[in-house]
Amino acid sequence: MFRRKRSAEDFAEEIKAHLELEADELRHEGLSDGEARRKAKSEFGNVGAARERFYMKDRWVGLDRLFRDVRFALRSLSKSPGFAATAILTLALGIGANTAIFTLVHAILLRSLPVVDPKALVRVGDHEDCCILNESASSREGSYSIFPYETYKYLRDHTPELEQLAAVQSGGADLSARQAVGNAMSHSSRGEFVSGNYFQTFGMRSLAGRTLMPTDDADGAAPVAMLSYQAWQRDYAGDPSVIGSSFFMNTHPVTIIGVTPEAFYGDRLSEVPPDFYLPISQEPVLGFYSARNKTDLGWLFLVGRVKPGVAMGSLQEKMSGLLRQSLGELKDFQTVHGRELLAKAHVVLTPGGQGVANMQHRTQSSLYLLLGLAGLVLLIACANIANLMLVRGIARRAETSIRMALGAARVRIVRQMLTESVVLACLGGMAGLLLAYAGAKVLLGLMFTQATAMPVDVAPSLPVIGFAFAVSLLTGLIFGVAPAWISSKEQPANAMRGANRSTRDGSSLLQRSLVILQTALSVVLLIGAGLLGKSLNKLQHQNLGLEAENRVIVDMNPLKAGYKPEQLQGLYQQIEDEFHAMPGVEHVGLTLYTPLNGDTWSFYAYVQGQRAPDPGQDADTLFNRASPDYFKAVGQQVLRGRTFTPADTATAPGVAVVNQAFVKRLFKHGEDPLGKRFGVIDIKNSGDFEIVGVVEDTKYQSARDQPEAMFFAPMLQSAHMSPPKDLDSSLYAGQFVLHMKAMTPGLEEQVRKTLASIDPNLSVDHYQTFKKQIEESFSGERMIARLTLLFGVLALVLAAVGLYGVTAYGVQRRTQEIGIRMALGSSRGSVVGSVLRGAMLQTAIGLVIGIPVALLCVRTIKSVQSQLYEVVGLDAGVIAAAVCTLALAACIAGIIPARRAASIDPAKALRTE
Amino acid sequence: MGEYSGRMATQEKLDDRIALLQGTLDLLILKTLVLGSCHGQGVARLIQRQSEEVFLVDHGSLYVALQRLEDKKWISAKWGVSENNRKARFYSLTAKGREQLVEKIGEWRRLTRAMGLILEPANGLQAEEA
Repeated sequence: MFRRKRSAEDFAEEIKAHLELEADELRHEGLSDGEARRKAKSEFGNVGAARERFYMKDRWVGLDRLFRDVRFALRSLSKSPGFAATAILTLALGIGANTAIFTLVHAILLRSLPVVDPKALVRVGDHEDCCILNESASSREGSYSIFPYETYKYLRDHTPELEQLAAVQSGGADLSARQAVGNAMSHSSRGEFVSGNYFQTFGMRSLAGRTLMPTDDADGAAPVAMLSYQAWQRDYAGDPSVIGSSFFMNTHPVTIIGVTPEAFYGDRLSEVPPDFYLPISQEPVLGFYSARNKTDLGWLFLVGRVKPGVAMGSLQEKMSGLLRQSLGELKDFQTVHGRELLAKAHVVLTPGGQGVANMQHRTQSSLYLLLGLAGLVLLIACANIANLMLVRGIARRAETSIRMALGAARVRIVRQMLTESVVLACLGGMAGLLLAYAGAKVLLGLMFTQATAMPVDVAPSLPVIGFAFAVSLLTGLIFGVAPAWISSKEQPANAMRGANRSTRDGSSLLQRSLVILQTALSVVLLIGAGLLGKSLNKLQHQNLGLEAENRVIVDMNPLKAGYKPEQLQGLYQQIEDEFHAMPGVEHVGLTLYTPLNGDTWSFYAYVQGQRAPDPGQDADTLFNRASPDYFKAVGQQVLRGRTFTPADTATAPGVAVVNQAFVKRLFKHGEDPLGKRFGVIDIKNSGDFEIVGVVEDTKYQSARDQPEAMFFAPMLQSAHMSPPKDLDSSLYAGQFVLHMKAMTPGLEEQVRKTLASIDPNLSVDHYQTFKKQIEESFSGERMIARLTLLFGVLALVLAAVGLYGVTAYGVQRRTQEIGIRMALGSSRGSVVGSVLRGAMLQTAIGLVIGIPVALLCVRTIKSVQSQLYEVVGLDAGVIAAAVCTLALAACIAGIIPARRAASIDPAKALRTE
Repeated sequence: MGEYSGRMATQEKLDDRIALLQGTLDLLILKTLVLGSCHGQGVARLIQRQSEEVFLVDHGSLYVALQRLEDKKWISAKWGVSENNRKARFYSLTAKGREQLVEKIGEWRRLTRAMGLILEPANGLQAEEA
């Protein structure tokens, strides 16, 4: 639009040519050289004026005028630094909050994987249920997302529509990695098993060495792995000799063949990206589940690259058919019920540009909720500044009037005022960008407390800057339009006559409406903050069925240290003894997983003498193992019978302890559970465990949901947890709990030393207090609640300032009127009352509008509902608290100007102007 | 529309010259260019000469008008060399300009006829009868 067609130089050139041509002609007519030049020039007239006219009609003029407006705006803003500073600060907070959250929205939700042509990637499946699931139970209403290796191969080999189809492990592989040469330390690392065409699928080359190839994934191929750039830098200091060197991973030799590119972080955005990429062919050796060889165990996610021009709909149909053919081979799908399941089995193809979008799906609702809240705060800030601008516009009445009287067009005045708003907003936006950078970093820390190397960059990128700029521009227009319009409607004559005595005009009504809007919005935010805070409080202070005080949780993995099942009895005995001997330790409890640490096991339970539950019916029960002291260690109460004793060894008769929910679900008719028997996997096994005790319900999986049916077995009773020839990985304790008399400093060091003294190959993979573990399971909720509260307080302050401003301004303008009233006998009390009444009326209207809006929001917005725990929308306490807070703030904001009004001296007031 | 109208130059000894009516400069330029491409100075000279020195074209207005016609794509311009070897910007009529010229001439004819009818009704009537 501002592209100039012709430069002024070109035009000047043309005029010069004209003068020369004219002079030539005149000379030809017989004039002397000098005379010809002079005459040519004088005939042309004013050359400067011609150039000016050429310039004026040019399109650049628009831009130039804009510059002039901006310069004028800056000048006039610098004349009222107080106003400018208040406005810029308010805007910086509003725009900064929005930009900070948008930074995360952009980095997490909108960005694709840093791979070649991510648009061509497709994910086979639409959910991320993890990590090792029985295939007959892993669909969501028939939609499959997690596949056995055999099914993957079948799909891969029958879809020529895909350039590549890669399989990736749905969970991560726990690795203990140690360099073979020298006396290297072992690192507790994270691996991921991937198909041999993984890097080809993503179009990635290696930064150094070579990438994994399909031949590395063949049966009997030499064991190799690719190292991630981050792990290479972090654990091996970027040492090039690592490439091609030998490692021991979980005690097995593996050769490192290359390093991934720096930007690559795997097939998904994750708090803990993989350190090593290993071919699936190594899984039976390095993993613990032999999942590759089990045709009925889903453990792989699939990501493919589509050839150009392939129709997704027909590909999805075709792959669903292939899936049914492949699953049809499985025993589970050949029963009557299995065939029903098979008929419904299908896959949904989803865009794969973000890879496995688990993180995106998990954070989406929180992030959009926060963006909405930040938007509300910005709207309140806009209302505030619009108010300030109105006041400023009225104060500048005389100036505007003079400009109009001197012939400035209305459009010019409006444009000038709008330019000023936008300049203000952009200044605020720039400050906001800085704030956003810091804010996004803090947010990231709050959201992902466990992140080690999360590949999320919060440095302002082009889209973020663009967003901030767009928001600033919009903000400037929103808060600038009304004041600009009102001041342009000024009648010059009125203002010049000194109509400052009038107390009523359009702007005061608008000002009041803005204050009402602010009040309404801030009551929405306050109610939201109240509900979320209450919900968090309920979550934290509920009865989880455990005691977290003075407890420490230690993660370890004897599998990584190479223990055989028959060695475990000795190891567990040693751990119990050695840690018991540590000063201050009351109980030592071993287990697979502790409450709320994010891990669970589950099995179908078959009660002896009862009909088998139908497959596909939700008959899963949680399963865990417990050492004799475990229940005391986590503070889980025993209600009936007994817990385990050292006599419940691997060879002793099978026993189990169940929770109340288990009793309630499996013994519906109030039978006595003690002495009853049940088993897992198959109804044949229903005699495996005898129930010897009942414990209270404890929340293991999630603090939000009701406790699930759960049973505990002794540490080493395998029963039929896994097929006869396979290793039963459930025998390997994953954590132990130390119940201390008191927490002593240096405990962690002591724990690490003690474990290392038992076996140097055993490492403490993670150490934290039980309290911290529980707290961390609420970290998302806490962040949302805190931010909402922060936004709520910000909104409250802004609204109070807005109310104060409007009231104070009203008082100032009514000085004379109040003076006259007082001179006529009005009491100070009635003056205070009348001012306060006005302020409180606006607040009341705001409340009347805001409360139903807040309740409506809670009822209708899904992302709000998903945050609330045991809190209903209509919470009288929260609403009352919000109303009181707001009323108090309004009182304070109103009383200051009201007192000032009351202190007006009638004599002085009448004398002014 | 001030800058669009041709103006009589305010020079002494030119009292007998006539200020151009609004919009007529455009018409004159287009008409001049029908004969072939020409530079600005040539256009000015031609208009002056063909009007028997009655019109004196204000050069500032001329160049603004040329630029405006160029923007409207009625004429096109490119730098070239004049017959006496001077660099000059040559203007020529486009197809669109040609259409416009026909239309403008029509307009002008209607205008002059109407003016004639009002200013000299008798003549006008006679002319009608004749």
